Amino acid sequence: MMEDESFTDINGKSISLDCQSHSSLCSEFIVSVPKVSIGKVMVYTCCVWLLAYAVFFFTENTAVLSSAIFITLVGMMLHIHFVKVDHESLLVIGSLGIQVSSSYASGRETTTFIEMSKIKDIVINEAIYMHQIIYYLCVLLKEPSDPDAVSSVVPLFQSSKPRLNCLVKVYKSCQEIISKC
Amino acid sequence: MVSDFFYPNMGGVESHIYQLSQCLIEKGHKVVIVTHAYGRRKGVRHLTNGLKVYYLPLQVMYNQSTATTCFHSLPLMRCVFVRERITVVHAHSSFSAMGHDALFHAKTMGLNTVFTDHSLFGFADVSSVLTNKLLTVSLCDTNHTVCVSYTSKENTVLRAALNPEIVSVIPNAVDPTDFTPDPSQRLDDRITIVVISRLVYRKGIDLLGGLIPELCLKHPDLHFLIGGEGPKRLVLEEVREKYQLHDRVRLLGALEHKDVRGVLVQGHIFLNTSLTEAFCMAILEGASCGLQVVSTRVGGIPEVLPEELITMCEPNVRALCAGLETVIARQRSGSVPSPASIHARVQNLYTWRNVAERTEKVYDRVAGEEVLPLDRRLRRLRAHCGPVAGSIFAFVAVLDFLFLLLLQWWVPDWVMDVAVDATGPHGLWRQVPSSKVGAHSKSAVK
Repeated sequence: MMEDESFTDINGKSISLDCQSHSSLCSEFIVSVPKVSIGKVMVYTCCVWLLAYAVFFFTENTAVLSSAIFITLVGMMLHIHFVKVDHESLLVIGSLGIQVSSSYASGRETTTFIEMSKIKDIVINEAIYMHQIIYYLCVLLKEPSDPDAVSSVVPLFQSSKPRLNCLVKVYKSCQEIISKC
Repeated sequence: MVSDFFYPNMGGVESHIYQLSQCLIEKGHKVVIVTHAYGRRKGVRHLTNGLKVYYLPLQVMYNQSTATTCFHSLPLMRCVFVRERITVVHAHSSFSAMGHDALFHAKTMGLNTVFTDHSLFGFADVSSVLTNKLLTVSLCDTNHTVCVSYTSKENTVLRAALNPEIVSVIPNAVDPTDFTPDPSQRLDDRITIVVISRLVYRKGIDLLGGLIPELCLKHPDLHFLIGGEGPKRLVLEEVREKYQLHDRVRLLGALEHKDVRGVLVQGHIFLNTSLTEAFCMAILEGASCGLQVVSTRVGGIPEVLPEELITMCEPNVRALCAGLETVIARQRSGSVPSPASIHARVQNLYTWRNVAERTEKVYDRVAGEEVLPLDRRLRRLRAHCGPVAGSIFAFVAVLDFLFLLLLQWWVPDWVMDVAVDATGPHGLWRQVPSSKVGAHSKSAVK
């Protein structure tokens, strides 16, 4: 089953949510963020270069210009490798666990798996983030010694930050799967 | 409700906000409390009955009151006001910079505002002249002001140069079921005087330090129980040291609200030595526990209790000693009313339900009023607060408005998620299973 609706993240940029239900006990949610726009790259590059040129104009030192080129290249590489996330996915398999993975624009992927025995619940929580108060989806982990206590919280979709309507959709399907096992 | 002062901090304002909110929720209103972060307690919390508290991470400057720059709190406050769909902003306590900030931003955003003043101020010294000016500015375009006693109303009206018609008096209350008398806890071979207050200058701890040795010398069976903490604890410790009264004067340190009753019921006489007080909840709690109350005649205290339940003295050591002597003599002769009868009289005098009802009326009235648009607000500021301060704050108001426009462009209102109501007409709280609420301090929103 494939579904596509239009959702936005907390800053009003559009993102897409892709729900794939593999079986009644297993489904995958992929939140995709639009790719880096060429215009934005141009603007940032222009800013750095104009600044560098202004400095060069006063100091007349060519090292400024070459370092500007270097900074732009390294900055872009670091950005696509560590900051820019293309899509984040959440794979919930009833009775087994939850796999959270995010793939960066450079192709790098990070994946973590949380066993079902460690998971207490999945909830939507509220938090203060920068100068906003936002909703986010998180996994509550059990304290090994005391099954009623919550030892820590793992936030999901950390870089895409979808809004509440998207979270509610994911939350409902997750709860359906978790409640079955 | 906005105030710097809320739990886990302890005091009269905190419990006032909490109890009032609970009663308003009971009446079907949606209540959200905004305060600053206390240590590790920050973020969003839910308390009993779905009362939502925002602990915003703002810098604390002095005495648990946040630093005010008029602007830095706007983004977060706006976020709270927009997502919770607030209609009336109610700030508490004139010491709370955050409360004033919230009023200022709320007016910029076009929301109705109410302010509750909990304390009295002087007019003479430099600091009160400055605070009074700030209060004038803050209240000159606030829709309505609430004071806790008639003395406090008079004081606020004079300080802030307000129109008395927009100032209401709504007293504080006590929960009579929390403060019930229990004479079996008293020790019959002695007379115990209980003092519960913060040990600070305003509460007249120096007077207390003066009268303890005098009375202890005259009455060998007299004991003091003193609850509370503060800088003036030194004075009491000094007195205790000097007159060797360690077994008769017990300093209990800071008390939690739930322990107060346990201390009160051990005593025969409740003593309040405040030098300034707008309402004084403490004497009400003392009387509710069936104690004889002796207090200084200051501020709004004479309004609080009927004359036969309280002994008033002038705020000096000699008068207080004389007052205590007469009460001690009455206690010895057994001619005082029984604790149960005192409790029965007090329990219906001040209830939170009544407070909530009256506050509700204020809200209803305020919600119908129009909020001054920016140009009239500026004119009013300049006309009302003097040419210099008025112009400065008019300028600040314009900046605040521009900042708001910037924020509205940066993060438009439609981008913010509307919060799920826990309380109020569409409250979801009752559907949340109670076991789940207890399990997480940060509760899930369904």
